[in-house]
Amino acid sequence: MEAHLLLEARLPMVGSATDFTYKWCVNMGLSRDDATKMALATDEVLTDILLHGYKNESGYIEIWFQYTFSEIEIAIQEKGEPFDPEKHSYNADRAIKYNDFEGAALKTIRKMTDQFLFLNRGKDGKEFRLVKQFTSSHIKDLLPEHLDPEDLDEPEADCDYLLTPATTEDAEDIAKLIYRSYSYTYSKEDLYFPKRIETAIKHEYKFGTIVRTEAGGPAGYFAVIKSTDSMIGEVGEAVVSPNHRGRGLMKKMMNELIKMSKQRGLLGLFGMASTFHIISQKVNDKFGFRSTALIIAKSPQKLYKGMASQASEVVSVVMDFLPLTRLWRKPIILPDEYEDILSEIYAQFTGQNRTIGAETPAFQDPDQTDLGLTINYETQNVLITVKDYGKTFETSCLRLFRSIDELNLNAIYIDLPLKSTRINGAVEWLKEQGFIFSGLMPLFHQEHDFMRMQKIMIETNFDKINTYTELAGKLKSLIKMEYDAVQKR
Amino acid sequence: MQYKKDKYRIEVELPGDFNLNAVRLISEQMGDRKELRIDLSKAHFVNSKAIIFMHKLMFGEKQVMVKLKDPPKIFFELLQTLGLHTVWNLDEIVEP
Repeated sequence: MEAHLLLEARLPMVGSATDFTYKWCVNMGLSRDDATKMALATDEVLTDILLHGYKNESGYIEIWFQYTFSEIEIAIQEKGEPFDPEKHSYNADRAIKYNDFEGAALKTIRKMTDQFLFLNRGKDGKEFRLVKQFTSSHIKDLLPEHLDPEDLDEPEADCDYLLTPATTEDAEDIAKLIYRSYSYTYSKEDLYFPKRIETAIKHEYKFGTIVRTEAGGPAGYFAVIKSTDSMIGEVGEAVVSPNHRGRGLMKKMMNELIKMSKQRGLLGLFGMASTFHIISQKVNDKFGFRSTALIIAKSPQKLYKGMASQASEVVSVVMDFLPLTRLWRKPIILPDEYEDILSEIYAQFTGQNRTIGAETPAFQDPDQTDLGLTINYETQNVLITVKDYGKTFETSCLRLFRSIDELNLNAIYIDLPLKSTRINGAVEWLKEQGFIFSGLMPLFHQEHDFMRMQKIMIETNFDKINTYTELAGKLKSLIKMEYDAVQKR
Repeated sequence: MQYKKDKYRIEVELPGDFNLNAVRLISEQMGDRKELRIDLSKAHFVNSKAIIFMHKLMFGEKQVMVKLKDPPKIFFELLQTLGLHTVWNLDEIVEP
């Protein structure tokens, strides 16, 4: 459960905020010791904001509490007087000899968190990000010593299978399935940690189905990870135990997931299919998913058990989308530059009751630009979500780019809402900044369609990007052409 | 926050964490007293401002005697992080 606090910048509010922080962190699965550390780090940031940012002035502080399967992130934003906590380093000798404790707060924050980021976004305010990773047992540590993953395999047998919704009690079996099927090669590290799986299912961040044999042994698992930003979900975490493959279990599970997603009111499902091979893209296509984007450098390296060839260091993905509602419509505004390709993407969804309206949109462009920032520490990329374009779009983007300049990134993605004619200016300016096309992200934020652009900051070999559908191939050609043009600059 | 005061000593029972707000409230009550006892049994943490406050009381001109009852585990970790564990006499400061 994500949370958002808006606090008046006054000292007595700090205690309430840190009490909430502690309880929220415990509820989301951190140990009490780690929750205390996050509460203390939050206290130190809030106290410094009051002392150095707002001093005696009035103002507000916003705190976002965000959860992923592997970590907790607390983002604190404020617009007080500029100060840079990283300029003040702590020295114990100086503190003892001269009572000079400058930098003590920053030293404390760094010690209490696994990652601390200070983002100075100029007039758009300052942002502090505190990250704590979950510490829990790896499935290997829960099994007897020296047990090989293959030892977990059940013997092949002719048997009937039973599909049931995955519950928290299935967490350890799911981790065992992943371990026995992929050994250490599965890219989603969280699935080796039963506690993380349990927490995610408990808080309904994901739901899935597990296949068991008549004897009760786990044979397959497939899940939908719910978006925290929109009523859609990502199909992923698919596994069938080697001895139970070729029996149609994947098809049964996918059908079950689509049924479960509709029951939960999801408006669409998407898959991020690796381009290292085309297997996942073929599966998605078979179930009616249609390609909408090619996202370069999206995932860390994936190696697959049983596949000899090496993947590139980072792997690109094809975004495939399956609408679950007939009310999803093509938006009125598409950017001139990409109108043809976007129209072609929309045209794939023939079953939809979609219309292109001719009336002027009721949406009024605001003065202020509103940008959201999601940092993926594991895959070393960031996603900027444009909530409102505003007149300050370019300067706000530049401030944000500067603030993340020191992060060692593989890619920057930016999602542009298809709701304002200002998108034309935004696209033109972003291209000047080295961004290239990525594709359509249907219903991706707040149940609205967005167009994604991407800035690739590592060398990309397009020969290693394999696409299955015709549309994905067209996206690859267009993106490669734009990528090559940027490289020649 | 509950206080017990006499001419030389003040005893405080903190209702929550030992943070800057608590530091300010205690400072207002301290006056020229020579001893400060704080019950931390309800605190999850003691922050850096509170540690600095106590350090300055103990090692400043006034040389106030500080006694802590039931400090949280993280207090010891933070004291070490700030390198003050070498000069704080914890056997004297922390009450059994």
